[in-house]
Amino acid sequence: MHHGMVRGEAGETISASGKATELLERAGALGSLAQELEAVLRSRRGRVVLLGGEAGVGKTALLRRFRDDLERDTTERAARVLWGACAPLFTPRPLGPLLAVAERLGGELAEVVGSDALPHEVAAAYAAELRSRTPTVFVLEDVHWADEATLDVLRLLSRRVDTVPALVVASFRDDELERDHPLRRVLGELATSDAASRLKLGRLSPAAVAELAAPYDVDADELYETTGGNPFFVVEALAAGDDEIPDTVRDAVLSRAARLGAPATRLLEAVAICPSGAELWLLEALAGDAVERLDDCLASGMLDVEATDVAFRHELARLAVEEAIGPRRRVALHRKALAALTAPALGAPDPARLAHHAEAAGDGTAVLRFAREAGDRAAARGAHREAAAQYARALRFGTCLTTAERADLLERRSQSAYLTDQSDEAIAALEDAVALRQELHDTLAEGDNLRRLGEILWCPGRTREARRRACEAVDLLETLPPGRELAIAYGALAARYAAADRCEEALAWGAQALRLAERLGDVELRVRSLATLGACELDDGGFSKLERSIELARSTGLDAEAARSFVILAGAAVERRLHDQAERYLTEGLAWSSERGLELFRLYLLAYRGRSWLDQGRWTDAADAASAVLRLRRTSATPGIVALTTLGLVRARRGDPGRHELLDEAWLLAEPTGELARLGPVAAARAEAAWLDGDFEGVATATESALALAVQRRSARRVVELVAWRRRAGIETPLPDWADAEPWAACPYEEAIALADGDAEAPLRRALDELQRVGAQPATTIVARRLRELGARGVPRGPRRRTRENPFGLTSRQLEVLALLADGRRNAEIADRLVLSERTVDHHVGAILRKLEARTRGEASATAIRLGLVGQDG
Amino acid sequence: MPRYVVERTFPDGLQVPPGEAGVAFCREIAERNSTEEVTWVHSYVAEGGRKSFCIYDAPTPEAIRKTAERNGLPVDRITEVRVLDPYFYAGETRAA
Repeated sequence: MHHGMVRGEAGETISASGKATELLERAGALGSLAQELEAVLRSRRGRVVLLGGEAGVGKTALLRRFRDDLERDTTERAARVLWGACAPLFTPRPLGPLLAVAERLGGELAEVVGSDALPHEVAAAYAAELRSRTPTVFVLEDVHWADEATLDVLRLLSRRVDTVPALVVASFRDDELERDHPLRRVLGELATSDAASRLKLGRLSPAAVAELAAPYDVDADELYETTGGNPFFVVEALAAGDDEIPDTVRDAVLSRAARLGAPATRLLEAVAICPSGAELWLLEALAGDAVERLDDCLASGMLDVEATDVAFRHELARLAVEEAIGPRRRVALHRKALAALTAPALGAPDPARLAHHAEAAGDGTAVLRFAREAGDRAAARGAHREAAAQYARALRFGTCLTTAERADLLERRSQSAYLTDQSDEAIAALEDAVALRQELHDTLAEGDNLRRLGEILWCPGRTREARRRACEAVDLLETLPPGRELAIAYGALAARYAAADRCEEALAWGAQALRLAERLGDVELRVRSLATLGACELDDGGFSKLERSIELARSTGLDAEAARSFVILAGAAVERRLHDQAERYLTEGLAWSSERGLELFRLYLLAYRGRSWLDQGRWTDAADAASAVLRLRRTSATPGIVALTTLGLVRARRGDPGRHELLDEAWLLAEPTGELARLGPVAAARAEAAWLDGDFEGVATATESALALAVQRRSARRVVELVAWRRRAGIETPLPDWADAEPWAACPYEEAIALADGDAEAPLRRALDELQRVGAQPATTIVARRLRELGARGVPRGPRRRTRENPFGLTSRQLEVLALLADGRRNAEIADRLVLSERTVDHHVGAILRKLEARTRGEASATAIRLGLVGQDG
Repeated sequence: MPRYVVERTFPDGLQVPPGEAGVAFCREIAERNSTEEVTWVHSYVAEGGRKSFCIYDAPTPEAIRKTAERNGLPVDRITEVRVLDPYFYAGETRAA
């Protein structure tokens, strides 16, 4: 092998002079990034690029090249680059990468981000920073490792990215995202945004691998075969300098490291135990004199300095070196790191980092101390998922804890797990805490935990146990002098009865809660009892009580209480088809809960939003929202039930397959709850799907038990709804005389179905028109058949002739612009012709290119002409 | 991935332009499909292009409807199907 060339990273060839020459097969991706930036510079509106690809495919190399190219641009319009990287920590430090960027920039941003700010405050501070100077490329690397708070900021920033002149680029490994990975939520949300685009990096072709292999004495085909064209593997294999191609990435990395000699290897090991990189002073503490070999390691391309931190150029290399460290040496290194970081040379100690090294060093006392601290800090920042993981870590090392300390940790863990919809973990932790509190004869805490257990058990649909625990809490706390815990427990029991539509009991316990709350005069108690009473009497002034509870909760920092009231209000408004009101609660509630990491409540609100869109006839949006919930849900029953019902109804109304499977699953989740509010809507949906199939027996089976329950609970509206489906299926069902309530407003689709209940031709025809308009194939067929049976003439047999008035979702204005564009006119001319500003035309053209998925104006006009979107005469 | 038959009606008949334009027409549809992970396997056309039965691999019926919308194609009905191979049974019998 000859070494005239030094290998850089991931397929980059660097000439001996150190000047980068060419990044193989990345011209397209670099071009796309440049184009996105160009669009930002032109329009002053920001964009987001999501850069996906497997580990080692060269995402970092691409972004660095993009940055280097930008930095060579010294003109006035040159963009500055901000760069934050997420670290592969088991429990990442909340806001880690954003803190690092802010520290580097200093100023107001650093002040806000460094002060335990919540994600929405951080996002606002970043937006202000991005607006203050122009323009910026903001890179966030490896967001698959990002903590929840960082992801929240990314999401919030992306949502308003068009108000800042910045190109936000987030890179991630797209092959490592399990089903419930928190990044999926962000990707899903951004998928529908006009301001975001995806870029995927693929592996190298055999030709590119051969080009990289050319200066070396290796068989290019074999190299391609072994590495599969993964650029990192290719470069490592070549740099290893062995006669044979190493079999694995690990072998390649280790043999490359070995060539640097023993002291350098010691330095590499010191860096390897710090997944987020190590400061120079820390490396001196860890590796002593071996630090002198840093230049060699940098020159070889294994390590890299970013700001003041030394890190591996690639995580795959770090892993390989870390795994090869002997166990005793590894423990010794972590112990040294722990000692050094407890008194850092700069700034305050970081508990998350300390907890990491303490765990690896097997230092139980230190884990306990730092993990608990890190957990509290994460929870304060709304990173409840990380908080739960830190508390769990502390508990694993909790052998020397006192019983009271242990119970306290379990309670904290339970709360964080509950807020992120991990009910199973939350329940298990709290059950242990109850037992410990009992052991300690701490009746107050035991009772309070039982009350919380009742609240959490309800989420996965364990309603009977939930009620039992809520009763136990009241019984236990009543043995003590009445205090705030008892008042809360009364309210919690009332909430359990309210959820089960047992209004009398709910109101009685709610009144108890209110009386005690008023006596004690505590704000949290007022918030809770207003919410409880509001939920008990939704049709009787309950909405305003809940709104007041939200106001009070927001002004006193009771974040979860406010979110819970939003959920109750939104659910009630959606069910009553109060669309405008529902939209207000949903928007505010979603902002409130996502800014504070309250995932559980966010999931409910997303599910309700999907249902609301279904009722407004926005079937595609409804299906998207419901599918998102089904991807994200973890343990709570209600969001799943609502989403399954929504998606099942979309399919049933369109006549699409898979409808029964979804609705059956919804029923399976709803049935064990025994609660009418869960069972009623699923029963109605299953009846509707059966009726559309002409399966009248199915309508009977679907409605039987829910109808009996609705009669028992005296819920007039649910009785009316279910009886209507049975009558449509020809099943004689008497309506109880008390069931004369005004039904809740119907949505247009339901109105059309109800119109078709009679035998008169005019309403049937109106129903037919409406059903055809919304594309309700099965119902259209049923109504058309009825009309023909009644002897009506001119009822269409086949599907209606479909006009293509809105192809590709183009607006009529955009079609006008497209026609002129296809006629070869420039934007200025188009603006003149249509009496628009040129900027507006720019905007329309951008939207047209996106919708037609065309790269250039030429492509767009070719597509438009080919598909007949515009007349040939322009 | 599930397989679906998508029935479509084209009141004026489906016209795939001849030559290069036809190639581009089909390629563009395939490209737009790929963003939703939808694959157009092939189609059977009947009644002089007024009716088509299209075989698709797709994650969900919603994905098929979305791409149909983007491609400006009508959808009458979507049915999930499985392959039944008559000669498979012949092979089984011989083996037994």
